Amino acid sequence: MNEISIKPVRLSLLRRYGRVLLPLAGLSILAQGAAWVCGARWDLFFHGIADSMRFLVHILIPEWDAFTDMLQPALTSVFIALVGTVIGTVFSLVFALLAASNIAPAWLRQATRFLLGLERALPEIIILLFLVAAFGLGPFAGVLALAIGSIGMLGKLIADAIEELDPVSIDAIAAIGASRVQVILFGVIQPIIPSIVSFALFRFEYGIRLSVYLGAVGAGGIGLELYRSFTMLDYGRAATALIVTLILVFLSEWVSNFLRKKIKGGRFQ
Amino acid sequence: MKNPTIDVLSPAGYRRRATIFLVIALLVAGASAFMGFDPTMLFTEFHYVTDLFNSMSPPNLNMIWHDETIGMAVLETVSMAFLGTLIGGGFAMVLAFLAAENTMPSLPVRLLVRLFLSIDRVIPPLFIILVFVSAVGLGPFAGMLSLVLSTMGTFGQLFREIIENTDPAPADAIYSVGATRAQVIRYVILPQVAPSFTANLFYAFDLNIRVAISLGIFGGGGIGFQIFQAMRLLHYHDALALILLTVVLIVGSEKLSDLLRSRLLNRGSLK
Repeated sequence: MNEISIKPVRLSLLRRYGRVLLPLAGLSILAQGAAWVCGARWDLFFHGIADSMRFLVHILIPEWDAFTDMLQPALTSVFIALVGTVIGTVFSLVFALLAASNIAPAWLRQATRFLLGLERALPEIIILLFLVAAFGLGPFAGVLALAIGSIGMLGKLIADAIEELDPVSIDAIAAIGASRVQVILFGVIQPIIPSIVSFALFRFEYGIRLSVYLGAVGAGGIGLELYRSFTMLDYGRAATALIVTLILVFLSEWVSNFLRKKIKGGRFQ
Repeated sequence: MKNPTIDVLSPAGYRRRATIFLVIALLVAGASAFMGFDPTMLFTEFHYVTDLFNSMSPPNLNMIWHDETIGMAVLETVSMAFLGTLIGGGFAMVLAFLAAENTMPSLPVRLLVRLFLSIDRVIPPLFIILVFVSAVGLGPFAGMLSLVLSTMGTFGQLFREIIENTDPAPADAIYSVGATRAQVIRYVILPQVAPSFTANLFYAFDLNIRVAISLGIFGGGGIGFQIFQAMRLLHYHDALALILLTVVLIVGSEKLSDLLRSRLLNRGSLK
């Protein structure tokens, strides 16, 4: 019986951690460059953090009387998100049908997927800037920006859901003599309604957050209220608007989660 | 409702779905009336969009090459997103380890960190950038700071879930031979989570490029601010060129991020 000796393998530090250390070194050099471009300085950073904390404590005293003024903007924000999402979902369904390989011919699918990808690349806020320049300030531009903005994401998700459908069930409906429209209605759209609703709910939740942003650029609603009172140094009012916004975001998240759980439980099927 | 597949075409199921869609339709109609949103305006006033498009094209592509502030603006946006991802992601990792059940034994610390993360996640970025702009002044630095905060909120939560979903068996195994908590984190948890952390950070960078563009409008500087200026000053040809540049930037970063992510996840390096 010969002795088994276990020799610890000794690697040099560079060989052992090189795969981690070298990228880290590269990253820190890049970070230095980026920090120079951004004009970031550590003294300014800590100064800035301390300043904003002091500033926050100073301003975060909500003006309770302003709550009633916030009701209408808050409702406007919710409605912008709601109508924008619903319209966007309807449009995305059309685009999704054109982008699904089991319905559309290959060239159409490629072209639609390309368009959807292009749309996803455009930030909603730039779409809004464009629409505000065309239609003027107001919820109209906001609703359209959200609707257009959701097409890229929802269209792709729904198209993927359509492509994952079992071809047998589509063939079965076609086999009993359904027309093309009927096949699409009952064989394609009917089975994916739960996924469409759950994507739309997710998008609605995101739309509430977006509508805060979009509001400040010209769609109106609670975002405009927050932005305006902040830039006019009316901090009490800004704090009120912030609280209302937080409530909105929490509520939309809760409602969307609740409904999505219901759908998973087969409520819509 | 025992068998949902049969319920699809039954009259009761049909009626219920019809009711749900009717309620949604009424809600949308009511909301549109409340806001003064008139869908027919899209058709009656569509010529404004085509007019605007006509006045925007052709894009003034020359400007991109000749105006050196544009190059700087792109660089600013990319740097903002990069630093926001790097610093925010770093903080997110540390906070995630402090918030995860299997790495942080103390319940109060865990709850405190989780509370911070969930507050951070819901505070609108608009408010964060406004506060930072008034604290450190206009410019990419304010944009970068708010990106750090938003990355921390979004990815801290995600990283915590990743840590908590690691396989507990190897940790138990080396605990049982006397490893300390730090050793368990270093030799069991870190190797398991490192690839997905890195992959998520690539995704975060892709996301942050978009956010950085939006933040620019509210004083974060960079390409977003340039677009906003051009639109406000009615320099539409410049604006279209800048928008095209933005699309190229975003698509490029998305492709790069996808490529790096898939290579990382397939090869499983950094283990």
